[in-house]
Amino acid sequence: MRSVSFASVTGTMLLTAFLLLSLGFAVEGSFETRAEIANTFSRQGQIQKAQIDLEELLRLQIDEENLLRGYLLTRDPFYDAEYRTASAGYDEKENEIRKTLGGQLLGADKLLADYARLQLEWRNTVAAPLLAHPRVRLEELDKRNKLFSDYETLTAAAIRRELAGKGDELERSTQRQLDRSSYLRAAWVLAFGLLAIVLNAYRTRLNHELEEERAVTRILQRAFRSESTPLPHCDVGSAYLSASSDRAVGGDVFDVYRLSENQALILIADISGKGVDAAVLTAFIKFMVRAIALRNSDPMAILTEFNVVLSKAVGDPYIFVSMFVGLLNTDTFGLTYASGGHDTAFVRRRDDVAQLEITGPVLGVMEEPFGSETIYLQPGDTLVLATDGLTEVRNGAGEQLSGQGAMELIARASRGAQQLADELAAAVRVRGGSRVRDDLAILAIRVLDGATPRA
Amino acid sequence: MRKACAFLIVCLILGSATALADCRVHRGEHVVLYSTTDDPSVLMWDSRARLREYHGASFDEAQAMLPHAVLVSPGTHGDVVTCIPGYVVSPLFASPDDAVGVTISSGPLKGTVRWVLGSDVRPRHKN
Repeated sequence: MRSVSFASVTGTMLLTAFLLLSLGFAVEGSFETRAEIANTFSRQGQIQKAQIDLEELLRLQIDEENLLRGYLLTRDPFYDAEYRTASAGYDEKENEIRKTLGGQLLGADKLLADYARLQLEWRNTVAAPLLAHPRVRLEELDKRNKLFSDYETLTAAAIRRELAGKGDELERSTQRQLDRSSYLRAAWVLAFGLLAIVLNAYRTRLNHELEEERAVTRILQRAFRSESTPLPHCDVGSAYLSASSDRAVGGDVFDVYRLSENQALILIADISGKGVDAAVLTAFIKFMVRAIALRNSDPMAILTEFNVVLSKAVGDPYIFVSMFVGLLNTDTFGLTYASGGHDTAFVRRRDDVAQLEITGPVLGVMEEPFGSETIYLQPGDTLVLATDGLTEVRNGAGEQLSGQGAMELIARASRGAQQLADELAAAVRVRGGSRVRDDLAILAIRVLDGATPRA
Repeated sequence: MRKACAFLIVCLILGSATALADCRVHRGEHVVLYSTTDDPSVLMWDSRARLREYHGASFDEAQAMLPHAVLVSPGTHGDVVTCIPGYVVSPLFASPDDAVGVTISSGPLKGTVRWVLGSDVRPRHKN
């Protein structure tokens, strides 16, 4: 289940990343196209301004000639002054067109330079002699004037054609860019649509898988939940924290099961691993140990038999279990126990807390014999069993709580079994932060104060 | 049938070519001289080759050719002697222009024959 979830998350992330990447490319492409179109519009604007300025220039040039003719015919100084004003205006306008074109239209620039040169020569070789000697009208000067006029007219026409051609070309280019932009947008929309459909389908499938997993988890929770039954003269409390908080099942298990009127099985075990896989094994442990305990009243024998069964049933050399099994006589409060590598078992007697020794190795590793011990609980004593989630919880500095720290916590905890279990669980949460890194099971059995042990 | 089609195609091609090569004015036609440039006076050349060279030449080269031209006032009358379609080409023309031989029939140069650009002559309408 975990590998499927990992693949799902990876797939979702990849798809989302691809979608974001595509979006990035689309946005970048849009800006690029926008910049290209803006540039083309700007150049079109330049061409149009140059065209308008060119017409103004030609008007000024004609003014210049007409004012010269006016002066030659009337000899009125007014025309001479206006002629010079028109000449200055012509020069200014010509510079303006040059700036507008900015050397980008080489053909038009060259023609404009030719036109300016013709105008200058006309001023020097035709206008200046006529202004100097208005009475002298030589045919040669008239022919020269005609020559200038012809060339200027033709050059102006060529400039107009050049500018119009460039304008048309830019217009076509703009149209092409707009077309391309439209096609690109359509393509991106299509790509996004398809990606969104794929992503949605993928999400739906993930949701479906998640829902299935939740359903399985709920069933597992019901089937494999650790449970405790009330015992005579005893106060029983428990707490459970799962490293997989959304599932509330894990690799730790405890069980309090009445084998007879005065005999109760007390079990706590910690399976290597956590999550749903480990939880499945806890059910096996719980029911298998109950079954063995029903026909075997020695915890040492229970562990020994279970160790054999575990090795044969699981067959995975990487799975091992630490387990504490106790048989509590609720008449005498004698507790005979065997601990297969499970060192998180404590007894609190008033304010003193003692750790119960282990009596053998963890199960599932080797077939060594297990021992057993018997202790007697007194009224007010509390048996506290936990898994290594208690002693190995780390604080912010990475320091484990340890067995000693656990005993100090137990010594300070409330007397009530359930309160004690809750306080220990809360302390683990506080020390380990909001998220528990390991499963934790706590089982507390307190002999009631008024209880009287019977021999 | 095949021969008829071939004949029709030949006629169409020849007809198109003739239409394309046609002058705007024809021999014997009475014309008025008028230039559509800023200066409406008309330059007339002593040979059609010079007319063509003038329009194909650079400004400096054209200036050197001016002694071979006469300048007539706009409105001068003339009679078409001959016309060569599309004879004059210039990098500044949108399309080739005709070379028209004209006998001047008014003004101080009356009786003189000169060459002029096709776009500078207009058929004279009689009212």
